[in-house]
Amino acid sequence: MSTVTRPSPSLANERRKDLIQKFAAFASLIVMILVFSSTSEAFHSVDNAMTVALQVTSIAYLGVAATCVIITGGIDLSVGSVLALSGVVAALAVKAGMPVTVGMLLGIVVGALCGAVNGLCVTRMRLPPFIATLGMMLVARGLALQITGARPVSGLGEAFGVLGNGSLFRIETIGADGFPDVTFPGIPYPVLLMIVIAVAVSIMLSRTTLGRHIYAVGSNAEAARLSGVNVARVTMFTYVLSGALAGVTGCVLMSRLLTAQPNEGVMYELDAIASAVIGGTSLMGGVGTISGTAIGAFVIGILRNGLNMNGVSSFIQQIIIGLVILGTVWIDQLRNRR
Amino acid sequence: MPVAGQVREERSVVPATLRRHELETALLEFSSQPAPRRPLWVRPDAGYPGRLDLEVVLEERLASAHASAPGPAKAPTADAPYGATRYDENAELLRLTGVTKRFPGVVALDSVSFDLRRGEVHAICGENGAGKSTLMKIISGQYLPDQGSIIYKGNECHFASSLEAQAAGIAIIHQELNLVPHLSVAENIFLAREPHRGIFVDRARLRADAQRCLDRLGVDIAPGTLVRTLSVAQRQMVEVAKALSLDAEVLIMDEPTSSLTETETSQLFKIIHELKRAGVGIIYISHRLDEMAEIVDRVTVMRDGRYVSTDVFRDTTIDKVVARMVGRSLEDKFPPRTSVPTEEVLLSVDRLTRTNVFSPVSFELRRGEILGFAGLMGAGRTEVARAIFGADLPDGGTVRLGNETLTIRSPIDAIRHGIAYLSEDRKANGLSVNMPVASNVTLAHVDAVSNRFGFIRFATEAAVAQRYIDTLGIRTPSVRQIARNLSGGNQQKVVISKWLFRDSRVLFFDEPTRGIDVGAKFAIYELLDKLAAQGIGVVMISSELPEILGMTDRVAVFHEGDLVTILETRQTSQEEIMHYASGRVGAQHASGA
Repeated sequence: MSTVTRPSPSLANERRKDLIQKFAAFASLIVMILVFSSTSEAFHSVDNAMTVALQVTSIAYLGVAATCVIITGGIDLSVGSVLALSGVVAALAVKAGMPVTVGMLLGIVVGALCGAVNGLCVTRMRLPPFIATLGMMLVARGLALQITGARPVSGLGEAFGVLGNGSLFRIETIGADGFPDVTFPGIPYPVLLMIVIAVAVSIMLSRTTLGRHIYAVGSNAEAARLSGVNVARVTMFTYVLSGALAGVTGCVLMSRLLTAQPNEGVMYELDAIASAVIGGTSLMGGVGTISGTAIGAFVIGILRNGLNMNGVSSFIQQIIIGLVILGTVWIDQLRNRR
Repeated sequence: MPVAGQVREERSVVPATLRRHELETALLEFSSQPAPRRPLWVRPDAGYPGRLDLEVVLEERLASAHASAPGPAKAPTADAPYGATRYDENAELLRLTGVTKRFPGVVALDSVSFDLRRGEVHAICGENGAGKSTLMKIISGQYLPDQGSIIYKGNECHFASSLEAQAAGIAIIHQELNLVPHLSVAENIFLAREPHRGIFVDRARLRADAQRCLDRLGVDIAPGTLVRTLSVAQRQMVEVAKALSLDAEVLIMDEPTSSLTETETSQLFKIIHELKRAGVGIIYISHRLDEMAEIVDRVTVMRDGRYVSTDVFRDTTIDKVVARMVGRSLEDKFPPRTSVPTEEVLLSVDRLTRTNVFSPVSFELRRGEILGFAGLMGAGRTEVARAIFGADLPDGGTVRLGNETLTIRSPIDAIRHGIAYLSEDRKANGLSVNMPVASNVTLAHVDAVSNRFGFIRFATEAAVAQRYIDTLGIRTPSVRQIARNLSGGNQQKVVISKWLFRDSRVLFFDEPTRGIDVGAKFAIYELLDKLAAQGIGVVMISSELPEILGMTDRVAVFHEGDLVTILETRQTSQEEIMHYASGRVGAQHASGA
């Protein structure tokens, strides 16, 4: 065979292109921040930044989960309902006298179980993921409403609110007037949790054999199967992960409100899918990154917050976010076209 | 042959424009003819319309056109530079000049020129990655060239899409078949061109027109059959039928015979001859150089994205063409066999069955042996291999590896025991097209490049991939290149690397050289021999008999789901294998007795 030449400049070129693509999404995020900062005084503050970060967390948890599922070529529509179910289970458990940690873990386990059922429907019963998770979306919502009698669960005690409202490195001094004087608001636990989850899942996807198999299943399931990848197990894992992360989202949300709402999280699955798609995840499977999804989640969060600050009605907000999703995916299609 | 040549000589006197017109009229008229397979009860007096098909109509049309052709139609002159009797000298259909196309990291075409005349078959030869497919995609409007001009029928063209090219009369039969699996054969042939009555599809006519296209090819497929139920070979015939129905002036055939049997191939050649007569220019890409002699007028050789030469096929030899393709002369098609099969039985398959797919199959594979699976398409060779590999579960029978009886429920079990299977359809079952080369190479054995916590060691992985890129000569800019961007032969080598890295004891190669050029084939043959020499049991499923005879120690011949016989390769012949493969054995015995 003739000698193989390896033109390294081309590779560098491709990497640069890849970087530019990522940077493009990121740059639009920056532009958005700049625009909102100039149009609204209130947007441009540390407090608001924290608010945005907090608002983004729930989209981000679900977005991370959605990314994994979508990379395998699946979809999970049930997360919004599952988070409500997990949240009320955790709240009811705490109300029944369980320690908060145990109660919340129980909530997350319930989420994971819902995910496992989704996974079984997809791998064993061979239902299309769209249908399997659509069914779970109704079942979980119904369960949450049934076990609470459609009433919010409240009176959960201080400890239940720590996860959602507490923060690390909060520095405050009790002032002369007896009110606490906050010198540094600290990093809220939900934000911390978001960073931990995003980094962990990102490493899992990019550096481990499991992550490699997730991409392989989404890229070509039959090729993966014939290469000895346990396709069923890998698919199962992504749905369980998705359910568990929905459980986490439920606990954090309910903790922030100090009340468990069985009606919480309606349409959250769409935010999650939208953040993944804005971040470059392909619904055809095989393509997607957590960093992209994180950017996508912030695009949605900042857009919503910024528009709020500018007094744009929530109806108009929906229209704008819808158009943004269409626009980003269209641009992505243009970039991928030769 | 000489008689047929004579006929063509006469035909070529007809001016091209007229012939084109006549062809159109013939086709139009033809499509309004009653269906050839019309049930007798419709018009009992008409009976079966015998030879009423497109060929006849065409011939009549052309003959009358010839008779009434206006004076100045030139007769071919003796001093014409090329084999002038075969095609009309002056009717240039297509000319490409200085066409260049760049992709990230690769110059796929570097200032390539090419021309095509009416009524000629112009072959394009070149190794994998020589740029043939890219050139075809430019001609058929899928890519725009970065530089250079395309002149089609005297006008400069910039086709923005394959639809535009198609509308202008340039049709392509793809190497990778482009059919909609859930639609019927008829619906596929006339996709987006369905005959309709008002807003409804005229199903009867759709069916009849499709039937006519298929009859013309002599293929026995019902137009109502769903494409997904067809074999690869049958799908290929449907593709050919579709292109024919497009009424094209330029027809591009990319590896049209790579999955056809010999009968189907000769059918196709008959069609090609007919199209030539009708003035269609055919661009023909194939790795089967030996079969070209029958149909090809001129041959253009490309290498590494560059134009090398164009010759009249008659005035050159296959050896010369091959030498130009690879840039060196090729000693022999097959490497000498260095491996010697041992007596030790490695894999023994006993009465393995899949109901309605194949009857009980028993055979033994020895250490260091290359066993061929010969047979026609759909004879059950692939299915047997897949059943042993656990890709499809058998209904009965045992598989023993060494002294161990295996329970194989999925490919995972088979791979753990050291059995590997390289699929015939690499795009669908072999390659993860979105993933980099390195990930594809290690996919079946990621554990070997990971630490015990499941973290991939990227440096190790890249080194492994680079090793196979070097040893197998995979042409890729880097180990991180996405597999989709590689040419077919290089993709195949990536898939082979995957199984070499897995250290298998038994390797099933299903059509390992399909759609691969001569040089790469030789490398793969060498590899098979080397593997056998290492004591690996190799099963090679192949539809190319020379390959079976050149490479195997024994050959198992299949016919319609039966393993008919196992022959010693050295003591058999192409004829004997075909004899068994075509199922003539029973009849022979009956008549002999």
